[in-house]
Amino acid sequence: MLNPVHDPLFARRAWHGAGLAVLLALCVAATGFDPRLLADPATLASLAGFTAQFWPPALGGTLLAEVAGATVTTLACATLGLALAILIGAPAAYFGCRTLGEAALSDTRTPPVAAAAGALLRGTLVAMRAVPEVVWALLFVRAIGLGTLPAVLALGVAYGGMLGKVYAEILESQPPEFSRALGAAGAGRLVRLAYGVLPGALPELISYTVYRFECAIRASALMGLVGAGGLGLLLDNSLKMMNGAETATLLIAFLLLVAAADATSRLARRALATPRGTAALALTFTTAVLASLWQLDALWQGGVANLDALARFAAEFWPPDVSAPLWATLAEALWQTLAMSVLGTLLAVLVAVALALPAAGELGVLLQLAARALLALLRGIPDLVWAMLAVLALGLGPAAGVLALALHTSGVLGRLFAETLQNTPPECRQALAAAGAGRATAFAYGVLPQVLPQWLAYTLYRWENNIRSASVLGIVGAGGVGGALFFALSLFQMPTAATLIVAMVMLSWLAEMASARLRAQLG
Amino acid sequence: MMKARILLAGVFASAAFAVHADGVLRVTAIPDESPTELQRKFAPLGEYLSRELGMKVEFVPVTDYAAVVSALTADQVDLAWLGGFTFVQANTRGKVVPLVQREEDTRFTSRYIAGTQSKINKMADLKGKTFAFGSVSSTSGHLMPRYFLQKQGIKPETAFRQVGYSGAHDATVAWVASGKVDAGVLNASVWDKLNEAGKIDPAKVKVIGSTPPFYDYNWTVRASLQPALQKRIRTAFLALDPARPEHKAILELQRATRFVPTKAANYAGIESAAREAGLLK
Repeated sequence: MLNPVHDPLFARRAWHGAGLAVLLALCVAATGFDPRLLADPATLASLAGFTAQFWPPALGGTLLAEVAGATVTTLACATLGLALAILIGAPAAYFGCRTLGEAALSDTRTPPVAAAAGALLRGTLVAMRAVPEVVWALLFVRAIGLGTLPAVLALGVAYGGMLGKVYAEILESQPPEFSRALGAAGAGRLVRLAYGVLPGALPELISYTVYRFECAIRASALMGLVGAGGLGLLLDNSLKMMNGAETATLLIAFLLLVAAADATSRLARRALATPRGTAALALTFTTAVLASLWQLDALWQGGVANLDALARFAAEFWPPDVSAPLWATLAEALWQTLAMSVLGTLLAVLVAVALALPAAGELGVLLQLAARALLALLRGIPDLVWAMLAVLALGLGPAAGVLALALHTSGVLGRLFAETLQNTPPECRQALAAAGAGRATAFAYGVLPQVLPQWLAYTLYRWENNIRSASVLGIVGAGGVGGALFFALSLFQMPTAATLIVAMVMLSWLAEMASARLRAQLG
Repeated sequence: MMKARILLAGVFASAAFAVHADGVLRVTAIPDESPTELQRKFAPLGEYLSRELGMKVEFVPVTDYAAVVSALTADQVDLAWLGGFTFVQANTRGKVVPLVQREEDTRFTSRYIAGTQSKINKMADLKGKTFAFGSVSSTSGHLMPRYFLQKQGIKPETAFRQVGYSGAHDATVAWVASGKVDAGVLNASVWDKLNEAGKIDPAKVKVIGSTPPFYDYNWTVRASLQPALQKRIRTAFLALDPARPEHKAILELQRATRFVPTKAANYAGIESAAREAGLLK
């Protein structure tokens, strides 16, 4: 295949291979990631000492009660966070949706004032969702201080930005004829929405909201890592104190919660098929919101929203710090973040391919079950939690971040790769096999060329995601720009924090553009 | 819409109830030790204050140093146990009054510790090793050790291979004992307490140095608290008498021989150290 005589693309392949090797070398240099460290006797001894405590998990009455309480808090935060996100996202979509505007009715240009307002709204939404929810939580913990309110606000703001965008897109994707007809008959904007657009868009709107709820539960469980209550707080305490037995219990609780979120989401989607199911879903959600308010209200009695204090806190971020010493720190931190994301993703691809083959059933049922269980475990534990465990193995710093990203991402990509394999039409392979090709040859020429573009696309998507992840792993000591942000916010150096957040958002924006270009080239 | 109103009503109702609930003194502390330990330490002191002041005393657990500063300066709590540095932060960010400190806090120190596996025997051996401070906002776990290290020409970010923040003093010991980091630094009082309780394995961790003394922890109230109540709180602390067995138990949990009055000027040294170390701008 790589014989220059027979391969017309040899030069291009060689270039790509060389480019990748240089990139890898640079990333290894920047992160200090050395897999041999994992086999270092001292590392293994300290890791073994900690993981030996994992079994049996701590099952004391007080701990279990605390875990149950924290789980309820986590769920309540997720529910209220999503409710707040809907309160932000729905009106934003209503006002931001281009096809609902007067201009769309008559195909005229949008008046400049409305266009400017729309751009401002969209810009705000971009900023809200570009800052990772953990960073929002970190900000709100510092600004508000007590209890679980920071977690609710963080989810509300970050997810509000996402819902606002996606809701508007869903509304805009509806056929415009109904809305136009209503408009021609003199109906106002709200009527056009209610009768012209919403009936068609509703199932998709709800379905996306359900998906976000599932994400909110996972995110809410992590908020505690920055001091905002829930399961993450207990996990942080146990890991900080190196209590293996408690850590094991909490990881199990965490995985159960993620599985439950997954199941709830599937159930809710099924309920959407019937009007009665949809009504039941709406009722359940409303009840859950009320129950969550009742549950968390007790915790908020002590000290919530001092709005003046919040405004004063926000004002401190201006003007951002642009002094010379910060640029040096920033450049290093950003480069480290980038290198972590690239190396973590590349390692994950290797593991994912190795696990996708058995997970797709290529190597028998027994290995399929084992591979699927392993993939579920790898992706069930969030990268932030993997990072906390990885710093135990590799010590503090970016190398641990690389390992964390690689572990979580291989779980995600492994499942997607396996699905692609299973969805590949079998004809090419069968034809090759019928012509006498061996199993490996039939796979290499009959399956691989069909799945590779999709695999690459998934990998690039995941890399975009990993840039964002890499920029928060520093909060638990695993390198990248997050560490500097945590440091600055702890010391109330808000102008520095402002610069770091802007840089973080710019980096992930640049990565998105680069990834989009690469994907366009592939396609 | 229904949901909207209820949610907003919920937020504002709690906000309205939040501040100045009558007859309740809201107390918090920087989380320099594990949450269970903080609660255990506070319980008898809280009961004592409640009796002396004739009001309900409520302990609000907070998991983040900076959040304690925010809560106190935003008048969300009345009384807080602060470190020297968090006091300086609160004092520069809002209006607060320091009331008392432990006698021990007038000459506080930190201990540098190292893992026995790390081949570190003296301060000079720290170069090129991994090192853990406690919380970023800690006085004895970060600010003062950093300040003294820098005075000796050791800049942590360049001299050490990696610098980490464990978050709390007892966590620093756990990190060093497990080998997660080679060395670290913590509050001398917590080190002694863990040692007395037999929670430190001498085969794993040892002391390699100490800092010069500095002013540390105090109990601080928000300046907007009624002056008469401020005075009664101070009097209650000062009345704790080591000769009386029931008081002795409280003092021992606080690791104090007795409480003495304090003033903001005591922390001027901490403030200039923070500026010199680049932690306060």
